[in-house]
Amino acid sequence: MLTLTHFLVLAAILFAISVLGIFLNRKNLIVLLMAIELMLLAVNFNFIAFSHYLSDTAGQIFVFFILTVAAAESAIGLAILVVLFRNMRTINVEDLGSLKG
Amino acid sequence: MNWADLNLMPALPELFMSVAILVILMLDAFISDAKRGLHYGLALLTLAGCAVLQVQTYSAVPVHTFSGMFVSDALSSLVKLAMYGSTAMVLVYSRQYIADRGLLRGEFFSLALFALLGMNIMVSASHFLSLYMGLELLSLSLYSLIALQRDEVKATEAAMKYFVLGALASGLLLYGISMIYGATGTLDLALVAKAIKLHTANDMLLVFGLVFIVAGLCFKLGTVPFHMWVPDVYQGSATAVTLMVGAAPKLAAFVFVLRILVQGMEAMVADWQAMLALVAVLSMAIGNITAIAQTNIKRMLAYSTISHMGFLLLGLLAGTPDGYAAALFYSLIYVLMSMVSFGILLGLSRAGFECETLDDLKGLNSRNSWYALLMLLTMFSMAGVPPLAGFYAKFAVIKAIVDIHLYWLAIIAVMMSLIGAFYYLRVVKNIYFDEAQDTSAIVMRADMKLVLSINAVALLVLGMLPERVIELCIQAMKQSLTVI
Amino acid sequence: MSMTTVIFYILSAILLFAAIRVVTAKNPVHAVLYLVLAFFTSSGHWLLLQSEFLAITLVLVYVGAVMVLFLFVVMMLDINVEKLREGFWRNLPVAATVGLIMAFEMVLILTNPHTGLADYKAGAALAADASNVKVLGRQLYTTYLLPFELAAVVLLVAMVAAIGLTQRSRKDTKVVDAADQVKVRSQDRVRIVKMQAEKNVEAADTAESGEQQA
Repeated sequence: MLTLTHFLVLAAILFAISVLGIFLNRKNLIVLLMAIELMLLAVNFNFIAFSHYLSDTAGQIFVFFILTVAAAESAIGLAILVVLFRNMRTINVEDLGSLKG
Repeated sequence: MNWADLNLMPALPELFMSVAILVILMLDAFISDAKRGLHYGLALLTLAGCAVLQVQTYSAVPVHTFSGMFVSDALSSLVKLAMYGSTAMVLVYSRQYIADRGLLRGEFFSLALFALLGMNIMVSASHFLSLYMGLELLSLSLYSLIALQRDEVKATEAAMKYFVLGALASGLLLYGISMIYGATGTLDLALVAKAIKLHTANDMLLVFGLVFIVAGLCFKLGTVPFHMWVPDVYQGSATAVTLMVGAAPKLAAFVFVLRILVQGMEAMVADWQAMLALVAVLSMAIGNITAIAQTNIKRMLAYSTISHMGFLLLGLLAGTPDGYAAALFYSLIYVLMSMVSFGILLGLSRAGFECETLDDLKGLNSRNSWYALLMLLTMFSMAGVPPLAGFYAKFAVIKAIVDIHLYWLAIIAVMMSLIGAFYYLRVVKNIYFDEAQDTSAIVMRADMKLVLSINAVALLVLGMLPERVIELCIQAMKQSLTVI
Repeated sequence: MSMTTVIFYILSAILLFAAIRVVTAKNPVHAVLYLVLAFFTSSGHWLLLQSEFLAITLVLVYVGAVMVLFLFVVMMLDINVEKLREGFWRNLPVAATVGLIMAFEMVLILTNPHTGLADYKAGAALAADASNVKVLGRQLYTTYLLPFELAAVVLLVAMVAAIGLTQRSRKDTKVVDAADQVKVRSQDRVRIVKMQAEKNVEAADTAESGEQQA
């Protein structure tokens, strides 16, 4: 019998993996963006699981909007990445050194 | 919901703004580069129109519309008027600056207004979904505004850092919201508050979610331990955009925090009070101490912002209506102060020259004593010297925590503001007692000179006669917070 | 174990494997492909939770559009993979510890009986002809009208930003606009200069000598 705990634990592990990914790929911007997508996926899992176990559709609606915003967000993020790459020929975070103090 | 029941009146300013943005966007396709000044005029006109509509549609009781997702109350009306004003001032200050740097494009104005629309929604939201949509609208517009200076390495780098950390913060915030949803079964702030008060919610999940929410909010406010983006974004962005990130959004973020923590989760005040107290102390300490070591004035002001946000949290964590009003007053004064300081930097910059190090301000008094005086007023106000407005703002928040007997916190706050005074006074020393390195004449548009002067003198006037404004803040808090 | 539980565990194993590979894959293209796998598997999970509409949207919008955008950018940029991987092994111990502790703590809280997750019971099974799409659609256009409109604005911002940031009008192309050529009139190209037909010789001489002196 599947319970809410199953899904929440799965989402929590997914969330932890995405945090791990952010620590691990601090230099690689494009994988960093993917780790953030994973984090949003974990959030979506939570919402849908709660929505199912509360028999309430609000959670599903929220996920609908998160998906929309995340799509817009990755479009802008990738646009900034492209502009950055044009300027510096790199997406290595360590090369981004002009702002320090 | 029935279509006939849909009351659009409370959201009239937002609707007007959306239509105006579309007009500006459409016009952009049809006019030549030489006539871009038209956008500037239209944007100011839009802001004026919004302000008029805002006053016209004001009602003495909070009005909910869009199935309870949107609320128009005294708090939102007051803050929105302040945001229109501050955005208009930012546009006036940056007119020449953006023209010199090739930023006088249709996108600049439409994105600035999109950001303002997002802030309006944040301020007027009474549902987690509208809060989230408003926040993202603001954030996405700001990321793109920063990156709009696309040939500038520093600006694109700042945009990327802001983007990654901002997206991460949204993720944390959403994880928290999902837990609150699970615990209470609703996303409506008033219903969440009710469920928490009546103990029908799952306590464990609530606290679990609250941790993530506070972390996400700290990111957005730019407080320790999630402050890393603030100095980089302030320094890397074009100064006009820095002002856009640093002024009105702080007001919106404050109301955003207020809506979630106070309107939604006031019954858990004991839980978030402790978290915010720690955050406030660290922000004041790290912000003020790191600012001393800075040579770049934009970076220094960024660290000073972090410490100001710490002070602002003091009023919030007091958990009393007077405390909230004090925090609102603080944020209004903070916006005024940051506008003058960055306004002067914008005025001193010219084509091919960025005024951004402390050395650039040396001998300002000998170059133009009026601007030197304005900067002096602002620095004294930020340091909290009476009789300027900054003093009264600090006094009000510290009084709020003394009222709830958190004496140790009050003592730390006073000590930190003394440390902070050091680097503000250093700027004043640079202006008055050092030899000017750059003696070129300062050219400012007449309208900018006028607005900047009014802005700075307002700090003095509000410092001596703060009662009217603080009374307004208290009234707004009373009216908006009693409904739940 | 019931059938759905078995499916849940199989899908979860694939999902977690894919997620770990996303953050550890050497090649960014592989990372994107693993992310596609993760989204695909999640959509299976969401079907178990009876949210058909979102499950399909995830595949169509996410896998179909967003991931393709990622792939496109990864392939367009000429990325030096080796350099980006430099700090990877050095960061691994810290990152793995943080990740493990975080997962452990979160799981501990969620599986603790005091948390009371057992109180949440799945609602009654939906009727065979119940339409998830219909329910969501009706709410989207009525109760959630405001966020729906805002979503449109957010997408517009994304469009304005993406065009504003990346579009460049190239100045070095020599493309010829046929319409402009047809429209050309003689006044635009030829300038008729009025000047004296005869020149005063002496004046010209003094001018020349003047130039030489200078």
